Amino acid sequence: MSTRTIKLVAISALLAGTLMAESRKEYHFNVGAKARISVNNPYGSISVKPSTGNTVTVNAVLHSDKVEVDNNQTGSHLDIQSHLLNGADSESGRVDYEIFVPSDASVTLHSTTGPLRAEKLHGDVTLEGAAAAVDVRDVSDAHVHIKTLNGPVTLTNVQDGYVEVDSLSGEVTLDRVTGPLVQVISTSGNINYLGDFGSSGEYRLTSHSGDIEATVPEYTSADVVARSVKGEVHDDIPLQPKNHSWLTFQQGRTFMGTMGRAAVSSTVVLRSFSGKIHLRKRAAKSQ
Amino acid sequence: MTCVELQQSLATSDDGSSLDQQNHLKTCTACSALVRELNLIIASAAELRGSDEPSPRVWNSIEIALRREGLIHPPRTSRSLIPSFGSRWGAARWVAPVAALFLITLGIYLRPHPPSTQVAKNVDQTVFTQPVSDAAIAGLNDDDLLQEVAQQTPAMKAQYAEDLRRVNAYIQDAKGAVNDDPNDEEARRSLLEAYQEKAMLFDLAMDRSLP
Repeated sequence: MSTRTIKLVAISALLAGTLMAESRKEYHFNVGAKARISVNNPYGSISVKPSTGNTVTVNAVLHSDKVEVDNNQTGSHLDIQSHLLNGADSESGRVDYEIFVPSDASVTLHSTTGPLRAEKLHGDVTLEGAAAAVDVRDVSDAHVHIKTLNGPVTLTNVQDGYVEVDSLSGEVTLDRVTGPLVQVISTSGNINYLGDFGSSGEYRLTSHSGDIEATVPEYTSADVVARSVKGEVHDDIPLQPKNHSWLTFQQGRTFMGTMGRAAVSSTVVLRSFSGKIHLRKRAAKSQ
Repeated sequence: MTCVELQQSLATSDDGSSLDQQNHLKTCTACSALVRELNLIIASAAELRGSDEPSPRVWNSIEIALRREGLIHPPRTSRSLIPSFGSRWGAARWVAPVAALFLITLGIYLRPHPPSTQVAKNVDQTVFTQPVSDAAIAGLNDDDLLQEVAQQTPAMKAQYAEDLRRVNAYIQDAKGAVNDDPNDEEARRSLLEAYQEKAMLFDLAMDRSLP
């Protein structure tokens, strides 16, 4: 047997072993209105999209036979759990989920590695993962809670949301995120906000050492307070000064005032200890 | 039975239903209120999902932390604390003290201050001479966390050590800001948020989804 043949046989055997180890499973569940779906997946991705009707479809790719998928349904409460067997690690214990849920369902996703993704939902969304990258988009009328240590967080087109993001060092990007409450707390990650701060919400972006940048269109109406204890603040937009302030004004470290029409404005608080804060106007061509 | 004896008896295995306990509870409103709150926590805890039950590692770490704080002592018999935590009170046994400490801290840092700056400043300086420890906030301490991470995911230890350093720096800066101006509501909020970040770090590091 030639060397080439041996190599081919070896590669074929390796591929066959890999393919045999990886398996796909599909589950279907009927749920009622406003179902609660919880997915706990130590290693691997979870992506949630809207389904048609009151059905939940779970497509799972298991990367080895050292992990199983357990499920438990009680009425409209569905729990999906990746069950690690003896010897499972971050590779062999990996499961990648694609899940379709009714758009009004509340989902709770947990994965250490992620990534976690939810889109086109209007039920509450809770995503947690130590190193998981988080992506939430096209969500409306929902509470959105995100906790991650190091993974980047991206929220896109989240309307009328109660949004709370806690991130230790991951970068947080909010693109067209509005609602009664939008709060980001980060220890060292940068925070980027792109949008108009809605019409009457409270926006609080806080980072200990990360930079905060808010890029807003010219028509934005908001009462803005920005303060960096040790870092710099920059303001490209003329603000109308406020008469009374609780804030001790420090040149270069603080700015505050009103953009646009104060009567319909949101409240925006940008805070950092050592990071830079920059409020900038969005370029006209991108409006 | 005194109040102390009653609370000690609650901490071991009973739930306030023995004759001695009942006799004391009839005459002591404070202990009655305590038992009512514990029962309420138990009822609430029962509604928690099974997956929310912390792993034995967490019980062990909490036990270590409580011993270091001097809040508990080694049992006289061979019975471990861990089984008693896992008995009828279930998760509530640790939820109660940790939540209580956290709420006390919340109260300290977020309570409104009177306009009298000097008085308020004095009060707050007193507060910060006796700070609630980070261990008390999370029920654990940094060494325990790193020890757990080293056992669980050794490759991540350096990352968590760096995360801890960052969040501790956040807490120190936030404390400094509150000390500089105890009436600065935003500074107080920063301190609370810094502790929240640390709590999150512990929570996710002790990931309940891991084996």
